[in-house]
Amino acid sequence: MTIRRATLAGALALTRAEVADMFQYRVVLFLYSLWEVVHPIVYLAVWGAIAGEGDVGGLRLSDFAAYYLTFMLVSHVTAAIEIYTFGPMIQQGELSPHLLRPMNPVWVAAARNISYKSVSMLLLIPVWIGLVIILRPSFTVTAGSTALFVVSLVVAALLSFLVGTTFALLAFWTTRSFSFWEIWIGLTFLLGGQVAPVELLPGFVQNLATALPMRYTLGFPIEVLLNRLDAGELALGFALQFAWLIAAALIVRTVWRAGIRQYSAVGA
Amino acid sequence: MPPDVSVRQLVKHYVVPERAGGLRASFRSVLRRKHRLVRAVDGISFEVDRGEVVGFLGPNGAGKTTALKVLSGLLHPTDGQVDVLGYTPWDRRAEYLSRITLIMGQRQQLFWDLPAADSFLVNKAVFGINDAVYKRTVDLLTDLLDLGDLLTKPVRQLSLGERMKVELAAGLLHTPRVLFLDEPTIGLDVTMQQRIREFVTAYNAETGATVLLTSHYMADVKALARRVIVIDQGQLLYDGALAGLVQRYAPHKTITVHLEREADLPDLNGQAELLSVDGLQVTVRAGKDDAPEVTGRLLTQLPIADLSVEDPPLEEVIDQVFRGEGP
Repeated sequence: MTIRRATLAGALALTRAEVADMFQYRVVLFLYSLWEVVHPIVYLAVWGAIAGEGDVGGLRLSDFAAYYLTFMLVSHVTAAIEIYTFGPMIQQGELSPHLLRPMNPVWVAAARNISYKSVSMLLLIPVWIGLVIILRPSFTVTAGSTALFVVSLVVAALLSFLVGTTFALLAFWTTRSFSFWEIWIGLTFLLGGQVAPVELLPGFVQNLATALPMRYTLGFPIEVLLNRLDAGELALGFALQFAWLIAAALIVRTVWRAGIRQYSAVGA
Repeated sequence: MPPDVSVRQLVKHYVVPERAGGLRASFRSVLRRKHRLVRAVDGISFEVDRGEVVGFLGPNGAGKTTALKVLSGLLHPTDGQVDVLGYTPWDRRAEYLSRITLIMGQRQQLFWDLPAADSFLVNKAVFGINDAVYKRTVDLLTDLLDLGDLLTKPVRQLSLGERMKVELAAGLLHTPRVLFLDEPTIGLDVTMQQRIREFVTAYNAETGATVLLTSHYMADVKALARRVIVIDQGQLLYDGALAGLVQRYAPHKTITVHLEREADLPDLNGQAELLSVDGLQVTVRAGKDDAPEVTGRLLTQLPIADLSVEDPPLEEVIDQVFRGEGP
């Protein structure tokens, strides 16, 4: 697949404009981002209470603190917001002006995703640093794990974006694409490393979490950074993460092509 | 030279869910959903040559906008063939989209909270317009549309008319060769409507662009299009010169005479209907075929200072077409 040079330049210009636009809503963004900080603290509090002075499956309180503090950043970087940004555009016919440009409107969703995250990250970082000082997590980070972490984080963000876009594209057929998205959110909560790190899940569920894509949008990069995986698990994890990325890209392409034939929303 | 736009037996049908109001109907629709087929465009064919300005007319729901959306590649048709500049619109090739534009009244393509200049820069990049061409085009559009400092104000602070001008400019930055304009003057005051009309005329003259426009304002059509295509309920009713439309569908002519002094009206043999007598001005309406005879009789039997014979207003003619009355 080739991407036109003008498309890349356009996506860049679009992202710049979206960032400028986002700054108009910085207070709202800060409040949204704050929720992303608060909810991992709830999981941390529960696991901290269970671990007490001891450990759960080898994880002590400071390990949970490291996990959920990393979770805050990772979940922010990989959050899929397309159901809120791109889906309504399709439903309300706002896609039309974008369809008239020689650039796939999925780039609009990407530009909005990147701009939302980069602007809100600026607001989130100071809060995060404050929490690190208070919670004193035990980060067992190495240069190697950091490098692999960056790769897994980028792939996780891309995968999550494509999954979010797929669900948003369901708006071509149904006005209730949110219901389908809720199923994904629920599965990620259980199997993605959200309610518990995947290594703490019981055997069968853990195998399921390893095979399904949810973990690769959230838990996997955290496990990579905190050195929770051996070489075999790392290799399998990256192989599956890339496989899901390719699958998601193909799915988005197929759904987009079918959807655009279907496009006739009221006011389209 | 092949036509810029060629449409053959274009069909676009929609299936829409349908149910009556009320709780009972709501429950019933859970079990059995009813659908209705809407024939928005039902087999129309026409061609538009390079540089032509064509008015696309029809009542609400006639299928005009649907047809324009198919032509600009937004919608896939149910059936039929469309060729615009050698491309099939719904393939949505980048080269095709770079040569056309569709401007819809009140449709947003600008960032609401940012100055329009920011949205222009996005279009500049997306369409791959180089700096020199971009500057020249913005200067031209600023001049033709009298944009002044509108480009540096946040879009939300612009009036409807100002925003429409800026939207038009944004849609023309890539100097498209074919313009699809859907109600470009809707909601604008008379002065601004006039301004937009002058602009479209100037743009057409300057660039030789082909223009297909819909409008509810007959003044737009009269000012811009020498040829009109009339569709209703998805079907083509008329395609030809604007003057021909009036000639064909206008059922009568209005004859106004100014008398030199007071006089009794001659017997018009039921060939004309007296519309008004205002001092020395008398207005009658005569059937199209009877008009010459009525005019002759008025001229010979009345002390006339001045006489004019006019077609009815275009609105009335169009109404006649839509109601299926006429020849």
